Amino acid sequence: MKIVVLMKRVPDLVEDLEVDGSGKALATEHLKLTVNEFDDHALEEGLLLKETSGGELTVVALDAADVDKMLFTALAKGADRVLKITGAANVEGNTGLAAVFEEVLSAQEHDLILTGVQAADDRDGQLGPIVAALLDVPCVEVVTQVEVGEPGEGMVTVHKEYSGGVVAELEISLPAVLGIQAARQSPRYAPVSKVRQIQQSATIETLAGAGESSGAAAGGGSGFSVVEMTAPETGAGAQMLAGVDELMAVLEAKGVV
Amino acid sequence: MLTTAERIVFLILVVVCGGLAFRGFANIVRIVRRGRKAEPREGLLGRFLQAFLDVALQRPVFKTRPLVSVFHAFIFFGFSFYLLVNVNDLLEAYVSGWSMIGRGGVAGVFNLLSDLLSVLVLTGMVALLVRRFLAKPKSLEFNASVKLHPRVVAGGVPRDSLIVGVFILLHVGARWVGTALHLAKEGHGDPWLPTASLLAAGFSGLGEAALETGTHLCWWVAMGLIVLFLPYFPRSKHLHLMVAPVNLALEKRTPRGLLEAPPDAANPGAKELTDLSWPLLLDSYACIMCNRCQDACPAHATGTPLSPAALEINKRYYANEHAASLASGDNTGGAGLLDFAISEDAVWSCTSCYACVRICPVGNAPMFDLIEMRRGLVFDGAAPDEVAEVLRHLDEKGNSFGESARKRPRWAKKLDFKIPDARKQPVEYLWFVGDFASYDPQCQEISRTVARILNSAGIDFGILYETERSAGNDIRRVGEEGLFESLAEQNAAALAECEFEKIFTTDPHTFNALKNEYGPFVDGGPFDVVHYSTLLLDLFTQGRLEAGTQLKARGTYHDPCFLGRYNGGFEAPRGVIRACGLELVEMPRSRENSFCCGAGGGRIWMKDHPDVVERPSENRIREALELGAVDYFVVACPKDLTMYRDAVKSTGSEGQIAVKDIADLVAEAIGLSAAEVN
Ligand code: SF4
Ligand code: SF4
Repeated sequence: MKIVVLMKRVPDLVEDLEVDGSGKALATEHLKLTVNEFDDHALEEGLLLKETSGGELTVVALDAADVDKMLFTALAKGADRVLKITGAANVEGNTGLAAVFEEVLSAQEHDLILTGVQAADDRDGQLGPIVAALLDVPCVEVVTQVEVGEPGEGMVTVHKEYSGGVVAELEISLPAVLGIQAARQSPRYAPVSKVRQIQQSATIETLAGAGESSGAAAGGGSGFSVVEMTAPETGAGAQMLAGVDELMAVLEAKGVV
Repeated sequence: MLTTAERIVFLILVVVCGGLAFRGFANIVRIVRRGRKAEPREGLLGRFLQAFLDVALQRPVFKTRPLVSVFHAFIFFGFSFYLLVNVNDLLEAYVSGWSMIGRGGVAGVFNLLSDLLSVLVLTGMVALLVRRFLAKPKSLEFNASVKLHPRVVAGGVPRDSLIVGVFILLHVGARWVGTALHLAKEGHGDPWLPTASLLAAGFSGLGEAALETGTHLCWWVAMGLIVLFLPYFPRSKHLHLMVAPVNLALEKRTPRGLLEAPPDAANPGAKELTDLSWPLLLDSYACIMCNRCQDACPAHATGTPLSPAALEINKRYYANEHAASLASGDNTGGAGLLDFAISEDAVWSCTSCYACVRICPVGNAPMFDLIEMRRGLVFDGAAPDEVAEVLRHLDEKGNSFGESARKRPRWAKKLDFKIPDARKQPVEYLWFVGDFASYDPQCQEISRTVARILNSAGIDFGILYETERSAGNDIRRVGEEGLFESLAEQNAAALAECEFEKIFTTDPHTFNALKNEYGPFVDGGPFDVVHYSTLLLDLFTQGRLEAGTQLKARGTYHDPCFLGRYNGGFEAPRGVIRACGLELVEMPRSRENSFCCGAGGGRIWMKDHPDVVERPSENRIREALELGAVDYFVVACPKDLTMYRDAVKSTGSEGQIAVKDIADLVAEAIGLSAAEVN
């Protein structure tokens, strides 16, 4: 089975984020990027699938700061190939991004496409569904587990999470796109020495400039435009309660009990 | 003395049993040589002389369990002398007319020693057998969840002890009785053989023939038994009498706080027995299975499945079981260490406190096995989730908190002066702050206190601001060598750009790494690093700090592993405490015997093992409370501050004892007002 994992780097939320002069985007001066956590889970689920059912795992990522290290890390964890897409830095929103990925995917063999269900910097969580729509294949979002082989060739069973702890088990025919919420286990750690070894022997395949034009081709941009970006207002803060008595007093004051 | 027939039978026995024993010994040599390479052991002559002297004085044994050690010394001295006795007895058997009995001079002294030492050996051996089989001390048992080799479960260790014990009793006892029979035969006592003469009186009623048969029988029990015992010897823990001195001589002699890098970076760590370095293989043959290491181990004391003793014992039983295939090297696909030696959760229970290595009487280092196994697990991506997350943070952000690297110096913002930027200006002291002192809110307060103390004393110091990374001490002990190297390279590069005379740090873990492990990363040799306890004491001695107020309180002090046991930093913190006027009361486990707080070796990032009955830090607070009327539990390590403040809360001991950093004491003693401190 050919598994493709779509990954990207997103602003690291432990940094102090600042809005730039335009008031519509993050200031990039001190911006640090990190792997989108959900994509890391998608990779982990892909690796687990590969380990149990065989196949080849390819990671496709957009060029960004430290993306090479992220891709070498993916190889150290067990990915077979890594592709880096350059020239797509200015692509806006998930519609544009999906078009870039779609262009790459149509040139790659793929049975199962995994990506994070969302990302810290996306506004709609629709990357997976749009890629699926462009490729005209089925898509399941908020997936927590993927199993191969149960229903037979060309099918996978997935667990999809709903609110309130409800889990659905779905059978889906391949090729398909899955938006991963969480892998069966925490993403594994790739030791630095292994990543360094890989760095010396492996290569990152680079695909040049899927370009801004594709975003337009896919339907004229994302349909969204940013009007204003501001830090959330700080609320009045929490009131720390010392014990049950205080809690009861608050509840009584609010008329709850 | 022996008949010709007896002489021939004895010789045949020697050849057969000697041959079997030789095969056993040869296998051991071959197995140990199959271990991975270790740092070369230089100065062999000196090492062996030192080891023999230490053994002769029984120094390694007397580190703990004084009474047991006295009995052991009885047996040791007696048995050592018995080498001569055995030679004499062989001569007696094969050289007609050779006998020491009845002679004075040198022979008389020989007789006296053999007589008295025989009694000491018998006394010691009986005492140790009584201890093991009647008193049954708890220290010889393992926690229920400790992984044990099936033969250990089946009682292998006590059986081996019994065999060895009975062998010693028979060997020495028979010789002693034989001498008495000899005296009885001659019909008079010998002033050089006082105890044997006493015993001989009891045999006076026996006839000549009975006495003659008796002496022969005793000779055979004493000497024949040794020969019969030979093939068992390499399989038995009694082997320690030969391997322990060698093991002590070949011990790692580099600083305690310097871990050896894996010999093969592309394939680090130990999965199978022979993936361990040869000194670690030798350890299991030296092991006397005394469980002293387990007694000292904070992980075992608090209920986890880790027993450093069981690890060595299991290694030995496995090696005995598979001696032939291990020796020939065709045990490929043999069982993994995690299958027979130790469980994975036990490997992660170690706090790398060094107590096991320090206490072992035969120079074993079970802690290093654990680190090797961790290296293997980390390399295979099998680190526990909490550890994996911290490693990712350290790789990306350079700190274990997963915090922004830019926020590292933020603690210093609340000071009313600016700490010089060591990257931009020369400083006398470069303060390497470390992760906990930089990011943990409680430790940040101590960091500010230290800054204010130094500022008030007019010390020229600076910090690296956001360029500092974790020093990597515990990363190395978690088994992530590559990440340790990467952090060390980054720090060494940053420090190379700065001008300073000395480095100081409040964090013993950081102190250890910078002092002992950064050598290979720094041009011009290791840094001159001091712990802040040393710096503060120096300032008191030089009169640059003056304790205006003497604190009227009683306090006890906890030696942090990486300052004390690892680096011998026992006096400076005590000096600071006394300089502040505190009355210092020592806990039973202090200095070299200090009990780890449980945070080291990456444990601070991991959840408690479900089997934990009491955390090491709680155990320690209990120890301090048992001293009675102690106001302060004084620490000199940021991790200790958080560990013990938590432990005081979780044991409900608030109001009974307060955890204080030495910097707190100094600030109070030199009269930095509370407002200034915060
Ligand atoms: S280093 Fe400490 S925690 Fe680890 S095995 Fe030895 S005594 Fe136990
Ligand atoms: S390793 Fe050392 S301390 Fe531990 S049981 Fe063996 S001999 Fe005793």
